[in-house]
Amino acid sequence: MSSLEGSHRWIRLIEPACTSCMICVRECPTWCISLDSHAEPVAGLPFGARERTRNVLDRFAIDWSLCMYCGICIEECPYDALEWVGEFTQPGFTSEALVEEMVRPPS
Amino acid sequence: MTEVAAEDWLAAVEALKADGFDYFDWLGCVDDIGRRDCLRVVLVVRNLSQGAETRMLSCSLPRDEARIDTVHGVFAGAAWHEREVAELFGVEFVGGERRRLLLNPEFEGTPLRKDEVLAARTGMNWPGAKEPGEHDVSPGRRRLVPPGVPDPAVWGDRDASQPTPDPAEVAQSAVGGRPRRRRT
Amino acid sequence: MRWVDWYGDGSLYVLDVALACCALEFDAASSSSPAPLPPLEDRAQLAVIISGTVTDRLAPAVVAIVDGCEQQAGRRPMVISFGACASSGGPYWDSYAVTKGVDQLLGVDAYVPGCPPPPEALSAVLDRVAGRVVS
Repeated sequence: MSSLEGSHRWIRLIEPACTSCMICVRECPTWCISLDSHAEPVAGLPFGARERTRNVLDRFAIDWSLCMYCGICIEECPYDALEWVGEFTQPGFTSEALVEEMVRPPS
Repeated sequence: MTEVAAEDWLAAVEALKADGFDYFDWLGCVDDIGRRDCLRVVLVVRNLSQGAETRMLSCSLPRDEARIDTVHGVFAGAAWHEREVAELFGVEFVGGERRRLLLNPEFEGTPLRKDEVLAARTGMNWPGAKEPGEHDVSPGRRRLVPPGVPDPAVWGDRDASQPTPDPAEVAQSAVGGRPRRRRT
Repeated sequence: MRWVDWYGDGSLYVLDVALACCALEFDAASSSSPAPLPPLEDRAQLAVIISGTVTDRLAPAVVAIVDGCEQQAGRRPMVISFGACASSGGPYWDSYAVTKGVDQLLGVDAYVPGCPPPPEALSAVLDRVAGRVVS
């Protein structure tokens, strides 16, 4: 499989790898990524340990009407949580339909 | 690049053409704000019979009164380049055509001058203004300012009691790059 | 105005409003050259593809083209916004001279994301709007 396979066609979020660091949102030149997260305390720490929090991703959306498929978000993500996908992005019949929500709601 | 005074501009272009540089390449403008208080009109001509040798002329004009002779009598093709520079930089070409080339007739302003801020992004909520783990932008924190948006201390939503910033400061503050903390 | 007989059978005629780079993808997707519109059968559909950035200066011309198509053909064509620029202004949404999406000017029947979208994306969306594919 060549390294160009699937590139610049569609972007997928690998949700378990995302830490809500906001780097992709900030680096995007067209401001097409929206991210919501909240901090939760980490459970199960040993007795006497300092309280720690971790970020929980609530919402990750890309507005495909703005995205210019530059791939900067994929390159900048420190956790490799974004990747190119081989199929092309689906068309929409309204402008709102082009905003893709990528976080599965909690079951 | 040869620097020419505004009063010698037409004569210098005519002299180059007489010298065999009769292929007009382009005419453009550079806003030197921050370095010098000038708009610099640049013209490039070539001598196609001499291995496409190039000559570049430049003329610095004061930003508040940028006026220079038209050269479209020497090179007819310069007319469109001059119209573009006139509407985007606010340079007056004496004897030149005043019709707009690229901008809408109702458009106001000279958008390529560096102190004219591209305001569209200042009016939009930047999705990157939130911190990691933050669900909404909390009002109290020092915020990040994205690339291309001028520093709020200098343009837009700034403190009116502070002295008016220098146009060079405004131009510098909108220079792109990484997100930066706003000055408070 | 010159139209491409997309399937070669007179069922769908497509006009490209070639504004910018997306127009090249249209050329790659179309299998025949554009030609003046022949007399239309009742079943024939028309589609106008807006390919590229709609500048404020050209916005009236884009509207005039679609209105002109309707007059010429006697039916309103489908309008397809092809690429990010036509859909929202794309990477140039913040420009002083760009209309933020052709839907500010016209009703749009389908939006194709991409910068530019691959030619297959145009073929696929035309198959959908022409009713050749049940989604």
